[in-house]
Amino acid sequence: MKTVSLGASRPSAVSFRMPTRDNLVPIRVDIEVDGQRYRDAFTWNPRDPDSEIISFAKRTAKDLKLPATFVPPMLQSIQGQLAEFRSYEGQEMQLKEKLCLSRSVANLNGAVNLQIDLRVNNTVIRDQFLWDIGNLDSDPEEFARTLCDDLNIADPEVGPAIAVSIREQLYQIASQSVSIMREKVSKKRRAPEFSSNSKAVNNAVDLFKYFGSKGSVIRKRKEWYLYEPVIDVIRNEEAGGDGKEELNSSSRPNKRLDEVKEASLQSL
Amino acid sequence: MATTTTATMTTPAATVSFGSTHPHPPPAAKSAPSPPFSAGAVKSEAPPTPSSTGAGAAAAGTGAGAEDPSYIITVPSYSGNETPDTRTQPPSKLGRLLLLGKLDPITLTGIPIAAWFSYDSIHDTERRLLPDFFEGEAAAASGSRGPDAYKYYRNTLVRRFRSRPGRRLTLTEARRGLVGDVGSIRRVFDFLEEWGLINYGALPSGSKQAKEKREEAAQQLPLPSGATAPKKLCTRCRTVCGLAYFICEKADISLCARCFVGNNYRPGLTAADFKRVEMTEDAKSDWTDKETLHLLEAVLHYGEDWKKVSEHVGSRSEKDCTARFIRLPFGEQFLGLKEDKLRPVNDDDDDATDEPGRMSRNDCVSLHCQMQAIRLSLRSVSLTCSDAASAAAQVAISAQSQVDINDGEIDSSVNSTGDEGSSDTNGLSVNDLLKEAAANARSELEKERNSIEQSLSDIVDVQVPTQES
Repeated sequence: MKTVSLGASRPSAVSFRMPTRDNLVPIRVDIEVDGQRYRDAFTWNPRDPDSEIISFAKRTAKDLKLPATFVPPMLQSIQGQLAEFRSYEGQEMQLKEKLCLSRSVANLNGAVNLQIDLRVNNTVIRDQFLWDIGNLDSDPEEFARTLCDDLNIADPEVGPAIAVSIREQLYQIASQSVSIMREKVSKKRRAPEFSSNSKAVNNAVDLFKYFGSKGSVIRKRKEWYLYEPVIDVIRNEEAGGDGKEELNSSSRPNKRLDEVKEASLQSL
Repeated sequence: MATTTTATMTTPAATVSFGSTHPHPPPAAKSAPSPPFSAGAVKSEAPPTPSSTGAGAAAAGTGAGAEDPSYIITVPSYSGNETPDTRTQPPSKLGRLLLLGKLDPITLTGIPIAAWFSYDSIHDTERRLLPDFFEGEAAAASGSRGPDAYKYYRNTLVRRFRSRPGRRLTLTEARRGLVGDVGSIRRVFDFLEEWGLINYGALPSGSKQAKEKREEAAQQLPLPSGATAPKKLCTRCRTVCGLAYFICEKADISLCARCFVGNNYRPGLTAADFKRVEMTEDAKSDWTDKETLHLLEAVLHYGEDWKKVSEHVGSRSEKDCTARFIRLPFGEQFLGLKEDKLRPVNDDDDDATDEPGRMSRNDCVSLHCQMQAIRLSLRSVSLTCSDAASAAAQVAISAQSQVDINDGEIDSSVNSTGDEGSSDTNGLSVNDLLKEAAANARSELEKERNSIEQSLSDIVDVQVPTQES
């Protein structure tokens, strides 16, 4: 038997949900009406009743002094994303498997490499770290809060942006794993559950086994700089255009801060 | 000075002076006529025990001293109807009781803070009213909804509001700065707002009521919004703003119309973040000191017959007259006098239209007419709106206590203006007016003092038998 006999303590397939402690959905809204643009990102609890969505949309429009014409597209956008999320529910996803889906995934089983690359108002933050995708108790919100506290980020809007970004990446991975599962199930049962079996299941013993030949689990010193957060606060003159959150895809910037990350290596 | 010596002896118990983080110092609470906003600035971390709030209230220097601290105080008027259980009712309901006269009386230093609030702990009220965070498997399982999360949301929201107490904190702005799901944040936000821990006194910014309150407050004490500054400088181009300018509350920037149109604000702000602000009504309507003189003279003679007053003034409607009369800065004036004899801090537009030489006369006029205002307001409650009445009453009380200081100055100032030419106000000279006003005021004050003493002794008499029994 090749499936879960490697001593996995956790089931290999899980009913779809956000792989975090709170099953919260990241919602991103980008609406343009009559030349006015509204961009926003926040976290929503799918268990909240739908009436909440409407009152939230109205309240937001009122607070931001947007015309009432914004409310229907906002509503639609939010409801659409929630519906999409709900469509995944009830299906199974496979998180333990090696996922060679996107460049954001590392070769370590169970842990993915998440990247933060954001600009919020005047603050630019870039970071990457490992995240244990199999840990269903993980908490992006706590991570974001801790990060902002540790780095003394002044702008309170950076925290939520980071949390949403993490959730979005996790959501993407989770939803992709659902489709993979579906594919697999549709194939013949004969196919093994692990595609390439050189990778171990993510528990401590196996990880050591994996690393064993190479040394310790501690990251190599020369790689540290890759995993340090970089914060930059730009002055007004440099900044141009829309100051709201943007996703840049620039290359690795110069080091500005020295910081050793530990929170992401929760499983080790 | 005993600031809150209203005849009814109630005190703001929970207005303990705020901790070190707060910009508005306790003295703001000393002046009795301080409006809800500045009073809101003096919120406390009152532990939910009567003795400590009492001690705290005394320590805050509200002058309450040995008076018994009632638990929750009075609030400025809202409207409504409910039975007065002050401890458990949220402040909006308390406010209604006040208007109905069921709650005593009008001490504007009181803020209806929920006395149980404390940064460090969670009270039963909170547990009861927001069970999502505390009970059930949802709470246990999830971090977003657990007690720690609740505390984080609550404390952040309260701190944020208190750092800018004059300004209404919107949910959207708040949740953008909070890490968590918006549903939970909204629940905490609504809860805090209802209990007056947030947005106290700050009505929806678009409403006229809020604007009036703000302007009234702005007259009394300078607020961060800077609406009281007579000359408003644009943050960007450093020129004087015209009649209208734009405030961005989020970043505390004010732009003149030109800069606003030219999009000269930093990214991260959109046009929606800015609010158009007109100069205060007084500036717009520009009361000259002659008009003010007319007004005061008329009030002196006609009392509260505002119809006749406005006729006398001529170019102003009744409403304008009363509004202007109420707005004559009283408390500030007297405070200014204490430090700076004979040169009180004047209302902005009076100064703006004055030449230096005529400053002192205007000052005297204002001073004496304030005495008149005290007399009138003490006597009547039939001014235009109850807000005004309470404000005037409070002003009167506080001013009264400062009268001794001012008495001497009045005399000297009366003499000093004797040399100046008299105005041509219906044949009455300024001097006569001043003298008459001063004399009247003094006699009225004497009477008032006596009556207060009388009532004090009555109360004492009542209390003594109670203790004995």
